[in-house]
Amino acid sequence: MYSKMIKTDGDIIITQKGIADNFFSNVNIDLMPQINALKNVNSSYAMIVGASPVGHIPIAGIYGVSENHFSHYKLLKGRYPKKGEVLLGRTLSKQLKGRSVKVGNRRFKISGTYTSNIGFEEGGVVMPISDAGKLFSRSASYILVSVKQPSTTTKLVKTISSLDPDIKVKTTQTFVQEYNQFKIIKNSSLVISSLAFFMGLMGIASVMSMIVNARKEEFGIMRALGKSRVFIMQNIFVETLIMTLSAYLFALILSLFILSLLPHIQMLQGYVNGSLSLSTALYVLLATVLMALMGALLPAWIASKTDPLLLINQGSA
Amino acid sequence: MILAKDISHFYGKEQVLHDLNIEIKQGEFVFLSGESGSGKSTLLSILSTLLQPTQGNLTLNGIPSTQINNLDAFRQNNIGFVFQFHYLINYLNIYENIALAALPSRQASIHALLDELEILHLAKRYPNEISGGQRQRVALARALINEPAIIFADEPTGSLDSKNTQLVYELLNRCMHKGTTLVVASHDMKVQDYATQTLRMLDGKLL
Repeated sequence: MYSKMIKTDGDIIITQKGIADNFFSNVNIDLMPQINALKNVNSSYAMIVGASPVGHIPIAGIYGVSENHFSHYKLLKGRYPKKGEVLLGRTLSKQLKGRSVKVGNRRFKISGTYTSNIGFEEGGVVMPISDAGKLFSRSASYILVSVKQPSTTTKLVKTISSLDPDIKVKTTQTFVQEYNQFKIIKNSSLVISSLAFFMGLMGIASVMSMIVNARKEEFGIMRALGKSRVFIMQNIFVETLIMTLSAYLFALILSLFILSLLPHIQMLQGYVNGSLSLSTALYVLLATVLMALMGALLPAWIASKTDPLLLINQGSA
Repeated sequence: MILAKDISHFYGKEQVLHDLNIEIKQGEFVFLSGESGSGKSTLLSILSTLLQPTQGNLTLNGIPSTQINNLDAFRQNNIGFVFQFHYLINYLNIYENIALAALPSRQASIHALLDELEILHLAKRYPNEISGGQRQRVALARALINEPAIIFADEPTGSLDSKNTQLVYELLNRCMHKGTTLVVASHDMKVQDYATQTLRMLDGKLL
């Protein structure tokens, strides 16, 4: 989720140097005028990302943003928040009533409701960065800088780094690649999805193997009638392909449907999200077809080598 | 036509056929008789190339069976089978079951053959929609469709009533008169009336 936020809005990210987790990062917001004055800097904004109880909701995302970043959150109702006010995400607003809400130990007036292209943000609260600073006792979690020309990004990273010895400056792309949390999430997802995928494929191979074994009698009859091994293998190949492609198509449609539903499930507050890239879909298709064919063709090949009479007898047994 | 020399066969450690020597000439009607478990079906399967014998040599039309390059094609071109349990493919209709066995050049003859066997009206039905007698006639049609030189039949009348049994024998007899070689394994001693050679088996040996 963090990566999606960061990737969307800036080219360079500034966080605190030497901290174990960027969630606790504290960057001096007073750096912003100096950064904005640098050549090739288009704009910059600061943000505090935290989590706190909101009303009766035990935990929700809190986004303290500098005023120039409010436009990132599209207003559905009301206006952008002033000091002592909050803007509620669309999903969260459906679960809260009243004109004010308690965030942490402070009460804030509700100035309106917003929507966002990033699903989970709709389950959170937007407030001026000064209020968020008091709530979480920090100046800013990070500062994001957008540049005028992408070719100048590397040079700007060095320039900004020299402004304060306590900051760590990276391109957002490098940050996302190197951030441990992202690596953990990415690797965990990879391991879990690989396991699930492998088990699914084993299932396909087993089913295909069982189907072929159950048809031994039929293959025996065909062989007895003079049909060649190639004819039998071709038949199985085509049948397997049709079955696998049909199953894949069904699974793909179901997956896309579920993925489209996820951001709208109120209980998840937009935190659970997912996407399916074309390359992943193609990879799954290829692997599924290969495994299904292996699962079917291997027993079929063994069966085609067996004497027709033994096949008929094994099939009848 | 068929020459079997010193044929022995084992299922695991159990020997079911013992050094059999058989010669069958073209146009013969051979009746293979014997009790259940005497080895009739195994011998029939070996003679028809469905099963490789553990020991011994089989020669068909002067060619040793081990030297036939494509046994599948050889079977389709030269041999017809009538199995005891019909072994029709249930998801294919009657016409398709016969078409599966037919050579490309014989596809056009399917309807005529079905008509001759009085089962043309069943062409679009599935095997589980017809009687045992009708299924056996379909199995016979499948064996005859390529006009094979040899027909092997294993208990072809095992599940039939006397009327259908008579019909099957007459059909087989007609084939013999056309020059087809017939090898029929059966418990039914009536086959002897049509046979030109009777081979009696007991415990895997020829008497």
